[in-house]
Amino acid sequence: MSRGAAFTGALVLALAVVLAFLTLPLVAIFLDVGPGDLVASLDDPGSVDALLLSVEVTAIALIVIVALGTPAAWLLATRSFPGRSVAITLVELPLVVPPAVAGIGLLAALGPQGLLGDALEQAGVELVFQTAGVVVALVFVASPFYVRQALAAFTALDPSLIEASRTLGAGDVRTFLRVALPGARAGLVAGGALAWGRALGEFGATLVFAGSLTGVTQTAPLAIYERFSADFTGALALSAVLVAASGAILLAVKPAGGSRVLGDARG
Amino acid sequence: MLAVEARTRLGDLDLGAAFEVGDSECLALAGPSGAGKTSLLRVAAGLLRPSRGTVRCGSQTWLDTERGIDLPPDRRRVGFLFQDYALFGHLSAWRNVAYGIAGVTRAERRSRAHQLLERFGLADRADARPATLSGGERQRVALARAVAREPELLLLDEPLSALDASTRARSSRALTELIGDAGVPAVIVTHDFEEAALLADRIAVIAAGSVVQTGTATELAAAPGSTFVADLTGAVVMTGAARARGDLTVVELEGGGSVTSTDSATGPVAVTVHPWEISLEPEDSDQAGSARNRIDVRVTSVTTVGNRVRVGLMGPQPMVAELTTPGAAGLALSPGTRAVAAFKATATRLVAR
Amino acid sequence: MTGRVGRVRAALTAVIAVFALAAAGCGDSDDSGGSSKPRLTVSAAASLKKAFTAYGGDFSGARARFSFAGSDELAAQIRKGVRPDVFAAANVKLPDQLYREGKVERPVVFAGNRLVLAVPAKSPRVRSLGDLRQEGVKLAVGSASVPVGSYTREVLGRLPPTQSKAILGNVRSNEPDVGGVVGKLSQGAADAGFVYVTDVVATRGRVKAVELPKSLQPSVRYGAAVVKGAKQPKQAKRFIDGLLTGKGLETMDGAGFEPPPR
Repeated sequence: MSRGAAFTGALVLALAVVLAFLTLPLVAIFLDVGPGDLVASLDDPGSVDALLLSVEVTAIALIVIVALGTPAAWLLATRSFPGRSVAITLVELPLVVPPAVAGIGLLAALGPQGLLGDALEQAGVELVFQTAGVVVALVFVASPFYVRQALAAFTALDPSLIEASRTLGAGDVRTFLRVALPGARAGLVAGGALAWGRALGEFGATLVFAGSLTGVTQTAPLAIYERFSADFTGALALSAVLVAASGAILLAVKPAGGSRVLGDARG
Repeated sequence: MLAVEARTRLGDLDLGAAFEVGDSECLALAGPSGAGKTSLLRVAAGLLRPSRGTVRCGSQTWLDTERGIDLPPDRRRVGFLFQDYALFGHLSAWRNVAYGIAGVTRAERRSRAHQLLERFGLADRADARPATLSGGERQRVALARAVAREPELLLLDEPLSALDASTRARSSRALTELIGDAGVPAVIVTHDFEEAALLADRIAVIAAGSVVQTGTATELAAAPGSTFVADLTGAVVMTGAARARGDLTVVELEGGGSVTSTDSATGPVAVTVHPWEISLEPEDSDQAGSARNRIDVRVTSVTTVGNRVRVGLMGPQPMVAELTTPGAAGLALSPGTRAVAAFKATATRLVAR
Repeated sequence: MTGRVGRVRAALTAVIAVFALAAAGCGDSDDSGGSSKPRLTVSAAASLKKAFTAYGGDFSGARARFSFAGSDELAAQIRKGVRPDVFAAANVKLPDQLYREGKVERPVVFAGNRLVLAVPAKSPRVRSLGDLRQEGVKLAVGSASVPVGSYTREVLGRLPPTQSKAILGNVRSNEPDVGGVVGKLSQGAADAGFVYVTDVVATRGRVKAVELPKSLQPSVRYGAAVVKGAKQPKQAKRFIDGLLTGKGLETMDGAGFEPPPR
C-alpha cells in the first residue's frame, strides 16, 4: 500500500513537471503583452494576411493529406505485400527529417533545377514562391502524423466486423466506406488534428521551399519570425493567436475522437 | 443442399474434413476448441481458402480449388452468425439488419428491417445502438441481420455460448424455429454436446481436424465410436479389460470391480454409461436378481442443476450420476456418504481402446 | 521496506531526475582555467558564417561557438536577455542601438562589404539591374529589418521611382537572412537577389555577381561589440581585436570582405 502511494506520488510529480514545462512558455506569451497591445497589433494587415493564409493552406493541405492518406493507410493495414514494412518506414520518414532539410529536399526535387523541375515547368506548375508550394511543404511534413494514426486505427479494427460486412454482401469499397471508416473514426480524427496542428506550426520547410512573402507564402509562423526582431509585441500577439487557434482545434476534436481511461469499461 | 470438403494446414493443425447438409436440415459440428470446426464454417462462407477443397451450395459451386473457382464471401449468399455477433457499433439495430438487404428502395429496406426485428421481438429496440443492448438482444439482432439477406445457407458459430442460462433456453427454441422456417441448410459450430443435441438434426464430431463420427444425438450417445465421442456426449467413461462370458461380456475395471455389458468386445475397452442411467442405492441394499451392474461408491459432490441433481461419485474410477430432485431427496446424499451405483447391462456400452 | 523509506526513495529519485534534466539544459558556467579552454559565444550575422567559422578555428585562447542568423534577430535576442560574449552585425545601426540601450560595450567597425546583384550561374535570366524590372522576374531579397534587406531597399530607393516600383513588384520573398536569398539563388528558384559579394564568393561558382554602379552602392559596414554581462569579456575583446589586426583580419580578407575603414 505504501509502495503504491510512493509510486503514485512519483507519477504525479512527473506529470506536474511535464505540464509545467509545456504550459509555461504558452502562458508567458499571454502574460507578456497586454490585451490592448495584442488587439492593436492584430490590426496590422500583414498579421491578418498571415493568419488567413495559414488557415487557407493548412485546410487545403489537410484535405490532400486525408484524401491520399486514408486509402494509403487502408492498403497498408489490410494487405500484406513484399516491401510493406519499407513502405511504412518511408511514410514515417518526414517525422525524423528536420524541417529545413525537408525544404531543401523539396527544392532538390521540385525546384526549377530539381529532379522534376522541367516536368513541372512544362506542366505549367509553379511551386517555389507560390502558395501551392506552401501546401506541398505542409503535406510533406504533416502527412506522417495522419497516416500513422490512420494505420493504427485501421489495424485496431475488429476483423470480424470486416468479415461480417463481406458475408452480408458488401464488396471491398462498401466495406471500407460503411464499416472501416466509421469504425476507425476516432483514430482518423485524432490523426487529422495532429496533422493540422503540425501544419499550422510549420516553418523551416515552408521558408526554404516556398519563401516568405506577405499574403502569398508568409504563414503565421513565418510572420511571427519576421516580427520578432522589429516588432516584438506584434510577434507576441500573433503567437498568442496561433496558440489559441491550435488549442481550439484540439478541443474541437475531443468529442469526435475522445480518449478512454485504461480500464474504463464502456459499451 | 450443402456439400463441403476441405483440406488445409492451419498452424499446427491438419484440417481434412467433409460433410453434407440437406435443405431445412441442421448439422452441428461439435468438438473441442482448436479442432477446426470454426475453420470449416469459414471455408463454407468464403472467409478462409483451403489449399484444397470444394464448397457446393444448391446448384452453385462456390469453391473448387482444382478448377480455380473461389467466390468471395460477398458473392455467396450466406447468413453468418459470428461468435461475438460482430454488430456494427456505429449503426442502430435496424440499420444493422438493413445492411445486408440489397436491391430495394431505402424505404423498403427500412420496413423489412423493422419487420424482421419485430419477428425477433425487438421492435421497440430498433433504434438502439448495439452497445445498449443485452447479450440476448444482440444475438437476436445478429440473427435477424444474418437472415435479412434471405441467404441460401445459414452458418452459426457458437450461437448460444455467449448467453446466460435462462436466455439460452429461449434462444434455442427460437433458433430451432428459425432454422426450420428458413428452408435452407444450416451448420452450427459448438463445443457443447447438449447445445448440438438441442439445435441440430445431425451431429458431426470433429477432433484434431477430422470428422470422427456422424449421427443423431441419440445415436452418438447410445453408440459412441470412441472414448472421445463418449466423453463429448457427457457419458461416464471407465477403463478396463473385457472377456466374453456366454452372451455377455464381463469387464474387469481398473481399480477393482467388474461390470457386465450386452455389447461384445474383448481386450482393453472403455466402458461408457450415461449419468441418467445410473441410479443410487443405499450402501447396504442388496437386490439380487436384476441384470444390473453394481459398484460401491462414495459420494464426492452433490450439485443441483435445474430440476436435476448431479452427484459426483468415486468408485474404482470416478463416476457421475444424474438423478431427479425427488429421487435424490429420498437418499440423504452428502459428500462422504457411501452408496451403490447401479446401472443396467443393456445401458453399458463398450468401446475398444 | 517500510512505507516511509519507500516514499522518501521515490521522492528523491524524482528530485534527482528533475535536477539532472535542468543540469543538462544549463551549459557549464565559468571554467576555472587550467586544463580546459574557456568557451566563447559569438552571435554573428549570417554573411559572416564562413569567415568567422574559419577564424574561430584559428582563435587560440578560447573555443568559439557561433550562432549565425539575421543580425536583427540576434539583436532582438540580446534585448530579451540572451547574452553571448560577442555581437557582430552586418551594419553599425544595430550595435549602436544596443550600445545606447546599455546592452553592449562601445562597438567598433571591423569590416566592410559590397552589395551586389546576384544571379544563378546557370543560364541567368537577369544580367543587369535593368533586367530586374521585366515582368515575371523572380526576385528574392532580405526582409526590411535585416541589414541586407535594408541595404537593398536603400539601393532601390536611389533608383527612379518607376524603376524601383517595378523591381519591388517582382519581389517574391523577404528572407529573414541573406542565407535564405543565397539558397534560393543556388537552387535556381529565384532569378535574382541582392546579397553581399562575400556570399557570392562562398557559393564557389553556383551564383554569379553583377556589380552595382558606385552611385548606388550603400555603405556596408560591419560593427561588433562585447556584450555587457558576457561571461568571457577578455576573450571577447581579444576576438574583436583579432578582426582588426590579427588572424581575424586575414581570414576576413581572404573571404572577400573589405578592410575596416581607417
